[in-house]
Amino acid sequence: MGILSVLDREHTIAPPGYSRWLIPPAALAVHLCIGQAYATSVYKTSLIKHFDTSQTAIGVIFSIAIVMLGLSAAIGGTWVERNGPRKAMFVSACFWASGFLVGALGIGTGQLWLVYLGYGFIGGIGLGIGYISPVSTLIKWFPDRPGLATGLAIMGFGGGALVASPASRQLLSLYDDGYDPNVSTSVAGGGALVALFLTLGIAYFIIMMFGVFNIRVPADGWKPAGFDPSQVKAKALVTTANVSAANAIKTPQFWCLWVVLLCNVTAGIGILEQASPMIQDFFRGADGKSTVAVAAAAGFVGLLSIFNMAGRFVWSSTSDVIGRKPIYAMYLGVGIVAYFLLATVGHNSTAIFVLLAAVILSFYGGGFATVPAYLRDLFGTYQVGAIHGRLLTAWSVAGVAGPLIINGFLDREGKPGTLTAEAYRPALFTMVGVLAIGFVANLLIRPVANRFHEQAATTTAAEATK
Amino acid sequence: MNQTPRLVVSWLLVAALLGYGIVQTLITAAKLFTN
Repeated sequence: MGILSVLDREHTIAPPGYSRWLIPPAALAVHLCIGQAYATSVYKTSLIKHFDTSQTAIGVIFSIAIVMLGLSAAIGGTWVERNGPRKAMFVSACFWASGFLVGALGIGTGQLWLVYLGYGFIGGIGLGIGYISPVSTLIKWFPDRPGLATGLAIMGFGGGALVASPASRQLLSLYDDGYDPNVSTSVAGGGALVALFLTLGIAYFIIMMFGVFNIRVPADGWKPAGFDPSQVKAKALVTTANVSAANAIKTPQFWCLWVVLLCNVTAGIGILEQASPMIQDFFRGADGKSTVAVAAAAGFVGLLSIFNMAGRFVWSSTSDVIGRKPIYAMYLGVGIVAYFLLATVGHNSTAIFVLLAAVILSFYGGGFATVPAYLRDLFGTYQVGAIHGRLLTAWSVAGVAGPLIINGFLDREGKPGTLTAEAYRPALFTMVGVLAIGFVANLLIRPVANRFHEQAATTTAAEATK
Repeated sequence: MNQTPRLVVSWLLVAALLGYGIVQTLITAAKLFTN
């Protein structure tokens, strides 16, 4: 296969003495790039004006990308496991960069369907493959701290928006003199958007290649110095047996965890989606004017992004110490209390409101980052990446359900710009119920029955042929 | 195998990217408390 054979799994086995601390930055290089998906709002208004179309028509680009993320992660998970992280990261980089290039062509020629195809469909495949590509490798390199390792990588997905938002604003002002990055209503021209998409596509491809060439899989039987697998087995819920992806989806544990992720993400998206108008509505006076300015609301969104990112690392690492089931009980249980307080006393003070929203968003991020380690505990390392891919379909469903719940209630309460804290109560109490369902689903999770476990010979042979 | 330079470059790259994002976001977030 010539030069591309360097991407094969057998050429990525780490030599003796290879530092496992090279793996998290390789994974971060990919996740920091694909995390741009959460920064699309920066140029949304410019796209609306350029194509002279509706908010919904432009919002569809992001929706297609997230749906493709879930689908490609679910369908491509087994392929990623078979071909290894380097080839998967390379494929992801090609799709993600091509998505931007085709999107740029669509903007340049004024054809919105090309942006749907490029950024949405092609880029979305890059998102899904890129999201799961380093996960099982990290778990194999860090059997002693899987939560820390996956937390570090998935933190990058949250951090990607933090990088892409200001970078996109600054690039747009560079390419278009009339665009002011400090004015939220400022609109960039089509030429600047094309240049932005081309720049992002090329830059992300280069950064992702850095991850491609640094990633390695550990040799068979490798374990960190001083690590004793028998101590892992001694923990409740943690298995040293292995379950295939095909068998995992037949277990009640998989579906309980699917419901847990669905509920946790639905509740978090509810705030994330509505953050900017929400803080203004909560502090709207009797005269109809909000005491929170538009610029301050943008600051609130930025603060939430930092808590979303930090929660991914902090809580996922904490789960290595206190266990996966207890930490999800915290995400969902404390989340119930936080949502209840937000609905009842959140309007009394900006500080209380910000604090409660920050806690909820840190749990939202934590839920994403801890789930691969939870899957490792329940199903072993054999096909954990493929199982993770299938579980991410819960994200796609939550991406539709969360905004539907919030917007459905708010549409009944009044028009945007006239809502108050009271208008949010039905939606927030609904989220309390959603989190309660997730809390019960987490309590129902028990160790996987022996009949689903693979024979030791099967997993050993599979590892040998990988 | 001396991997120190590779480790330093790897972590510097992600630290620079994340650091840029966090600083820029904190500048925006400061408006929440100054406005």
